[in-house]
Amino acid sequence: MMAIRELKVCLLGDTGVGKSSIVCRFVQDHFDHNISPTIGASFMTKTVPCGNELHKFLIWDTAGQERFHSLAPMYYRGSAAAVIVYDITKQDSFHTLKKWVKELKEHGPENIVMAIAGNKCDLSDIREVPLKDAKEYAESIGAIVVETSAKNAINIEELFQGISRQIPPLDPLENGNSGTIKLGKPGTQASRRCC
Amino acid sequence: MCSAEEAALLRLEEVFSATLARVNSLVLQPLLSAAPEPAEPQSRECLRLLQQLHRSSQQLWEVTEESLHSLRERLRHPDSTGLESLLLLRGADHVLQVYTEYIESYTSCIVVQAFQKATKRRSEFWRAQLKSLRQLLSGVGSKCSVGTALIQALRQPLAHHVQQYVLLLLSLADAVPERHPARELVVNAATLFGNLESFMRQALDQAVATQALWHTLSSRQRDVLCIPAHRLLQDSQDVPVTVTPLRAERVMLFDDVLVLLQGHNVHTFDLKLVWVDPGQDGCTFHLLTPEEELSFRAKDPQGQAVWQWKVTQAVCQALRGKKDFPVLGAGLEPSEPPACRCAAHTFRAEGRFCQATYEGEWCRGRPHGKGTLKWPDGQNHVGDFRQGLEHGFGIRLMPQASEDRFDCYKCHWQEGRMSGYGICEYGTEEVYKGYFQEGLRHGFGVLESAPQAARPFRYTGHWEKGQRSGYGIQDDSDRGERYIGMWQADQRHGPGVVVTQAGVCYQGTFHADKMVGPGLLLSEDDSLYEGTFTKDLTLMGKGKITFPNGFTLEGSFGGGAGRGLHTQGVLDTSALPPDLSSICKRQLGLGAFPVQNRWQGVYGPFRDFVAAGCPGDLQEALLGFHVQSSRELRRSQDYLCCARTQPEDVVGRIKDSLAELLRHREPKALQRHLRKALSNSLHPLGKLLQRLMLTFQATYAGVGANKHLQGLAQEEVKQHAQELWASYRGLLRVAFQHKGQALEEEEEEEDAETRDLHVHGLVLPLVLPSFYSELFTLYLLLHEREDSLYSQGITSLSLVPDTKLLEFLEVQKHLWPLKDLTLTTNQRCSLVRDKCFLSATECLQKIMTTVDPREKLEVLERTYGEIEATVSRVLGREHKLPMDDLLPLLIYVVSRARIQHLGAEIHLIRDMMDPIHTGGLYDFLLTALESCYEHIQKEDMRLHRFPGQWDSRELW
Repeated sequence: MMAIRELKVCLLGDTGVGKSSIVCRFVQDHFDHNISPTIGASFMTKTVPCGNELHKFLIWDTAGQERFHSLAPMYYRGSAAAVIVYDITKQDSFHTLKKWVKELKEHGPENIVMAIAGNKCDLSDIREVPLKDAKEYAESIGAIVVETSAKNAINIEELFQGISRQIPPLDPLENGNSGTIKLGKPGTQASRRCC
Repeated sequence: MCSAEEAALLRLEEVFSATLARVNSLVLQPLLSAAPEPAEPQSRECLRLLQQLHRSSQQLWEVTEESLHSLRERLRHPDSTGLESLLLLRGADHVLQVYTEYIESYTSCIVVQAFQKATKRRSEFWRAQLKSLRQLLSGVGSKCSVGTALIQALRQPLAHHVQQYVLLLLSLADAVPERHPARELVVNAATLFGNLESFMRQALDQAVATQALWHTLSSRQRDVLCIPAHRLLQDSQDVPVTVTPLRAERVMLFDDVLVLLQGHNVHTFDLKLVWVDPGQDGCTFHLLTPEEELSFRAKDPQGQAVWQWKVTQAVCQALRGKKDFPVLGAGLEPSEPPACRCAAHTFRAEGRFCQATYEGEWCRGRPHGKGTLKWPDGQNHVGDFRQGLEHGFGIRLMPQASEDRFDCYKCHWQEGRMSGYGICEYGTEEVYKGYFQEGLRHGFGVLESAPQAARPFRYTGHWEKGQRSGYGIQDDSDRGERYIGMWQADQRHGPGVVVTQAGVCYQGTFHADKMVGPGLLLSEDDSLYEGTFTKDLTLMGKGKITFPNGFTLEGSFGGGAGRGLHTQGVLDTSALPPDLSSICKRQLGLGAFPVQNRWQGVYGPFRDFVAAGCPGDLQEALLGFHVQSSRELRRSQDYLCCARTQPEDVVGRIKDSLAELLRHREPKALQRHLRKALSNSLHPLGKLLQRLMLTFQATYAGVGANKHLQGLAQEEVKQHAQELWASYRGLLRVAFQHKGQALEEEEEEEDAETRDLHVHGLVLPLVLPSFYSELFTLYLLLHEREDSLYSQGITSLSLVPDTKLLEFLEVQKHLWPLKDLTLTTNQRCSLVRDKCFLSATECLQKIMTTVDPREKLEVLERTYGEIEATVSRVLGREHKLPMDDLLPLLIYVVSRARIQHLGAEIHLIRDMMDPIHTGGLYDFLLTALESCYEHIQKEDMRLHRFPGQWDSRELW
């Protein structure tokens, strides 16, 4: 019996950079189709093994339109990780990403794992943001960075695996100190059982 | 055919009838006519007895005539009239009764020497009569006195007659053939009259012995004891016996009382309240009486046996209420007197019961069972007793010193003192409803003053040894204030919160009814004062005011009657405006009264009830009465009658409830069963919930509807759900115990997660409706400001046509559900209104039709489903909406649903939501809804600036 940890992950990034495409790809590509309720492409879940734990990602999409920016804190409060997406063919979207990082640092949850995804790497011929810039920036803020292609399913799994690795393993003494961590106890609920 | 015996009987009756007539004219008539109405009571008593004897004699004559008549009929028509028609046979019992009554009257006259007294007055007349009297009698010497002659004249014919009856009946029985139907009757009559002979003999012996007794007593003792009904059964002068601890020199057993003589003192003990216990050795035995325990010691075992047997039989006879027939202790069951009896007794010994009269059930010398105790001062107690003390339910009336007023206690008692639940209506019209311990208010209780009292108040909370102590709520209706907080020795003591009618509220620390140290004062305009102030809300000493506009004033304050407020301090106008919600949403009392300790006095008795194994007889004492409502009770005409359910019903009902519990364990059935139990005011869980509702209303209704109390209220509701679940588990455990099983191991140790699951998923939705109106009011007040902005937002958006609104919200045009409306390009901004996403809008509105947070969340989920379905229909294929598309659509639906007080709704749902949903689907949906709510409050939305005018300010 493996422990299930629920991890809330929120998606940030400009509208049109492919936030929900990445998640759709991540959730749908998996051969094990756990039918779990979703809200369209806005709320999805997926469980992946990590070490001797199972990580259940609760993925919250956000609206990328600028006018809804001020609503974002409601969505990212209590997140264990944030996936910030930019479009490698749009310099503006990388600019927005930096603002998100800044906001998360200031107002986001403590110890939030940040993952930067440069989407649409299949269009690298019209790239505007060099990988080097992204890597340097990510390093400076201690974030994961990968270039992904939701269209061609490149690096999607790796992105979430990276997040999984960054989540500190559960200290058995510290039981559920953050709202996102839950221990699945044996025999409590059939629906949460796995083997 | 008639036998010779029947003819003899006829002659016998003829003679007896004539004799009775002669006795009547020669003896009884003169005895009665002789005396004028005597003055002194003793003589009056004699006259009464003689009149009684005359009546009995008359009846005797009548019954003889009747018997005579039946015999004549029989002799005249022997063939048509059977043997069984004879009165002596068919009515033997009746005849017997007339005879015994005559004997009773006669012996009573003997006991008080009525004949001697009567003849003394007219001795000359009687001397003249003596000769004719003698003719009546046989075997009387010529020297016999008038008195003796009279006594004999009234007895001898009767004795002789009965003797003849027996003889004739016996020979008749011999004469009647074996198989004759009337034979049994004849034998029976013969036996009865034979018994009557013995009875008569014993009665006469007792009467004579009793009469003889008076001469051996002092006149004072005689005055006390000489009563016609007394018959001496045993005297310690015949069979010696000593009594401890009373050290009586003489003991007499009468047929109704036991008498001990000690000097001039006469101690009498009602035999109905005497219990006999055998002693350790052969010579002693013990008597229990209500106030004394006596030890009897005889010289030898025979003496002991005589006394013990006599006393026992006399007690039995006294309890039966009529003379044993034919002789004392003859063949009647039971020969042992019962341990529990009904009787009345007036206590004489010093103490609480002195001079009080108890009437009711007794057991072994003590009031035990149901009874009434009345004191001479008007105090009385009706109810259950145990071992001589009030125990169980009882109603006590205590007269007040002045006026015609009573304190009325309807409550449970334990060993003579109030203990457990009770209702007390005082003469002052104050009413207390709650728990007692050792006669004092203790535990949870509500005390309410008379409505017209000088300072009306109502206290709902905890008591200790008769004083307010612990957590409690007190309303002061004159000041329009409510104190919520800690008490000690009837005074506010410890942390407390005060809310006022005006909306001002404060939190501080009290010491002996006074505010000490700094506190927080929140005024109705949302300015905050931190510092020291008085109960009259005068700012005194150091403090800091934060005004709603962000100005602060820090310094020292002073004031006084009529002088207004004056201060020396610094007014800071440059400070940043405070986060509005930090003051206007500030919650008072959090942490000051830990929620799990708050209503221990309510949970406690339930836990005790469960720990005791749910005994039906304790249910009421621990869980309170089942009464409709206090007002109905007071209005009830029968002032004393508590509208309680019958305790017997309760015992049965609790057993049923427990059995029911076991039958409904599966989630669905359990939910249905709990819903039923909680709404049933007779069920233990229902009672508990009702009490909790009472405390909740006492705290948060009326003056308590203050937004600064929302935090206290919501944690209380959750705690109640948790306690109710624990209570259910307790009952379940008892139910299993009753069946001789233990809870399954897995269930016995319920881990925190399973418990939370049940509390939030099962119990909270069931109990929430009970607290909803007060709780929702608090949320309304707390979110009033945002709700009014939101309300402006939706009002302004409602003026906008659908297409314009969709455009304004930047919903992508391919998602617009306008296909069916067949619009041309230039009709795009038509006036179509409230047509798009109608199904989603209507679905969302259902959020207001339920109080269950889970159902509300399900409504949200369905609303989302409707949006997606509409979009999929528009696009002609399944479409998964990313947030970029979903949020604008959701805002559109929310603005069209026009739900009132959405902010209050959202926050209530979030607070009451099962924490298991955190981060999950429901959390997401609720967050999405909340973000719509927030968005609609924005200025842009309220003023609906259109895309052209869209001010793309930098929001960062």
